[in-house]
Amino acid sequence: MTTNIPTVDPATSGGVELRKEPSYLRVSSGLWSWLGTLDHKRIGLMYLVGVTAAFLVGGALAFLVRLHLWTPDGALFEPATYNQVFTLHGVFMVFIFIIPAIPASLGNFVLPLMLGAPDVALPRLNLASFYLWCTGTILAIYSIINGAVDTGWTFYTPYSLETGTAVVSMGLGVFVLGFSSIFTGLNFIVTIHKMRARGQTWFKMPLFCWAIYATSVLQVLATPVLGVTVLLLAFEHIYNIGIFDPQYGGDPVLFQHFFWFYSHPAVYIMILPGMGVISEVISVHSRKPLFGYKLIAFSSISIAVISFLVWGHHMFTSGQSEFVMVAFSFLTMFVAIPTAIKVFSWVATIWGGSVALSAPMLYAIAFLIIFTIGGLTGVFLGTLSVDIHLHDTYFVVAHFHAVMMGSTALAFFAGVHHWWPKMFGVMYNETLAKISAVLILVGFNVTFLPQFEMGSLGMPRRYATYVEEFQIYHQISTVGAAILGIGFALMVGYMLASLAGGRRAKANEWGGVTLDWHTPTPPNLYNFDEEPVMTGDLYDYTSGIPDYGKDAPMDKDELAERQAAEGWNA
Amino acid sequence: MLAIQDPFGQLPVPASTFAADIDPLYTFLFATSLFFFGLILAILLYSIVRYRRKHADQPAANNTTHNTALEVVWTLIPTVIVMVVFAWGLVGNMDQQVAPKDAIGYTVRAKKWAWGIIHPGDAKQTPAEMWVPEGKPVRVTMTSEDVLHSFYVPAFRQKRDVVPGVRQILWFEVPEGQGFAGQDFHLFCAEYCGDQHSKMAGTVHVVNQEEFANEPWKGGLPDDPVARGEYWYTKAGCLACHSLDGSRRVGPSYQGIWGREGKLVDGSSYTVDAEYVHESIRKPQAKIVEGYDTAVMTAYDETALSDEDIADIIEWMKTLK
Repeated sequence: MTTNIPTVDPATSGGVELRKEPSYLRVSSGLWSWLGTLDHKRIGLMYLVGVTAAFLVGGALAFLVRLHLWTPDGALFEPATYNQVFTLHGVFMVFIFIIPAIPASLGNFVLPLMLGAPDVALPRLNLASFYLWCTGTILAIYSIINGAVDTGWTFYTPYSLETGTAVVSMGLGVFVLGFSSIFTGLNFIVTIHKMRARGQTWFKMPLFCWAIYATSVLQVLATPVLGVTVLLLAFEHIYNIGIFDPQYGGDPVLFQHFFWFYSHPAVYIMILPGMGVISEVISVHSRKPLFGYKLIAFSSISIAVISFLVWGHHMFTSGQSEFVMVAFSFLTMFVAIPTAIKVFSWVATIWGGSVALSAPMLYAIAFLIIFTIGGLTGVFLGTLSVDIHLHDTYFVVAHFHAVMMGSTALAFFAGVHHWWPKMFGVMYNETLAKISAVLILVGFNVTFLPQFEMGSLGMPRRYATYVEEFQIYHQISTVGAAILGIGFALMVGYMLASLAGGRRAKANEWGGVTLDWHTPTPPNLYNFDEEPVMTGDLYDYTSGIPDYGKDAPMDKDELAERQAAEGWNA
Repeated sequence: MLAIQDPFGQLPVPASTFAADIDPLYTFLFATSLFFFGLILAILLYSIVRYRRKHADQPAANNTTHNTALEVVWTLIPTVIVMVVFAWGLVGNMDQQVAPKDAIGYTVRAKKWAWGIIHPGDAKQTPAEMWVPEGKPVRVTMTSEDVLHSFYVPAFRQKRDVVPGVRQILWFEVPEGQGFAGQDFHLFCAEYCGDQHSKMAGTVHVVNQEEFANEPWKGGLPDDPVARGEYWYTKAGCLACHSLDGSRRVGPSYQGIWGREGKLVDGSSYTVDAEYVHESIRKPQAKIVEGYDTAVMTAYDETALSDEDIADIIEWMKTLK
């Protein structure tokens, strides 16, 4: 490893302190230093590039869907092509973008920093997870070239068994992506258990870590069921084993049970890390401790537990037993409670804070608004009699886009904006970033509010053509998608521009106090110059904001002194 | 009545008895959601404006980390509301699930991509059109001949997946004397079923009981066999896969079909004659035209298209250029 320490003249470096070590970005160079890296930060950045590319592909497909639906007969494609386009949109967004998005990119980068750790517990497993993600993505792309897939991202049987498209290779891709997700989850569980800083008890862990912990448990416990399901699907496809195909005595509804037993927890695999990001962003940019910290931490765990018990609410019209439906509807209602608690706590955190309308905060506020819409409309769908009407309509489409796109994706972008200066040591153009946040908030609502409306009026989802009375809603929705597209294109533009010529970021750009802000900017290879020790409160903004260099970590004598004085154990 | 049920105008015409229960619940959910959304938005915007950071070093106005009373209250309120909503939805759903004993029985057969409706007392399928009387409960027993479908009439607030290998039952009743007789409603397929999913539509005609006694589904067929053939083509689902203008859909086009010769996937040749058409409708997989090896067509049996109906189709095919 190269250890050339760059010398910076304080007179020309804008007052930034001399570094003891080069940053992780400069510690070594060359393609292999990235592709073979075991550094959690570099792996996180590779994931960031990968999932953002997947998001842009999935977003372009979504825009094609919206353009096609401009006219009742479909403006662009034959129905068969349309079905492939919306399927690929779903597969890219769900399996390739949103599931790994926050845990594997931001989680990888930020989690060890927040825990005061030099890396994750299992760095090789971490890199293996990234290459599994690449393999799964390549298999998915191969499936597109080799006949595409037109089953929807849910692969419902028996249609997925008889369609002549590349369901088996796509299933294999999903299987491999699942293992990538399991590896990441396992790694984070071990890291959180074993590698927290001295003095950092469970309840001195930032809420992002709690959210990642809850997510990781779901990833490890639920994803194997997805693996089993797609393997059975492949066996059924190739050998007709008769488990899902009624022609051979199988039960197509059994597939739905298997699929949603994974895919419902997967919804929380998607949203929980987003909630974690928002907790951090709101606290830092309101300069105030998280209101109801423990309740938020417990609500993450309770959401994770409940999420295993509600899969049947995806199947209220499938003909499952009425008694089972009662149980699923009842349990589904309990998701609303921890969700509501989180929203109230975030708003209460902003109340009485010192609220900076910075770019990450604007993304977080947009998240709060859309997430509230997504949460409230979820109650409609959990209600048995109302769901019978709304099931499989655009109301459902709009609801889960509010949660996945308007919430998880926006939380992801809030986090990227928040930690960008930490990652690269540069700042983007914040004015453009604020414009983009507003465009996305407006664009989202123009796109999806008409979809709620037409869903209530009875417009079924996955329709390549539709009856004329829905045209006006589709057209407004397409205009909204164009606004969203402009917002995202702008974001990609100023983010890339910042790498080329952004101003140098401050050591602690937003004034954060958690351990991730106790590192040099960008961090060292092993993150901290000296092993950090947590002494004070987690979100304490009153005892001074860490500014790396001025607030150096304590040495051992100082630690022992504080330990004796304050009576805690490291 | 209508205005109270759906003051925000978000739901389709309430043409079944379920609407009287579901629409007020929907409205309650919507109004409650609107209230809480407005409340959260107002507090959020107020906090942002009131506590906006005006200079870089400004500390938070307060550092409250919790308030047990407040947290208990905002845990309890949503709990109470969702329990009310759950119970209300459950009661409505029990009604949706269990058909009354005196309901009149229909059979619906779903296939890619057409609905076949067998009216009470009839043995023959009516393609894509359903006549129901007002003021009488209707029980529909549904089977699928291929993949998943879902029977959905938005105006009736009722939906049920049609699952191959299982008989699914759904019921509804159009209220009497509220002006629904004479109106037509959309029947949609709500579960994705492949290429022509969005074209798998139908119409439900509501009629009064006297008119219903005349079995209106039996009338209306043209006298001319060629016109009848065209009727079957458009209504029984043929047009979803077979174009008339030579363009490629799931199956081969009917353009100039009569007497056409070509090759099958097994290399043998075929000529379109009466026997060939008959076999292709009854046993679609017996002879597959070259280039269409992945296409899967669901067979039409005697109930769906009788031999006479096929004869009509043949007469009509002879006229196609």
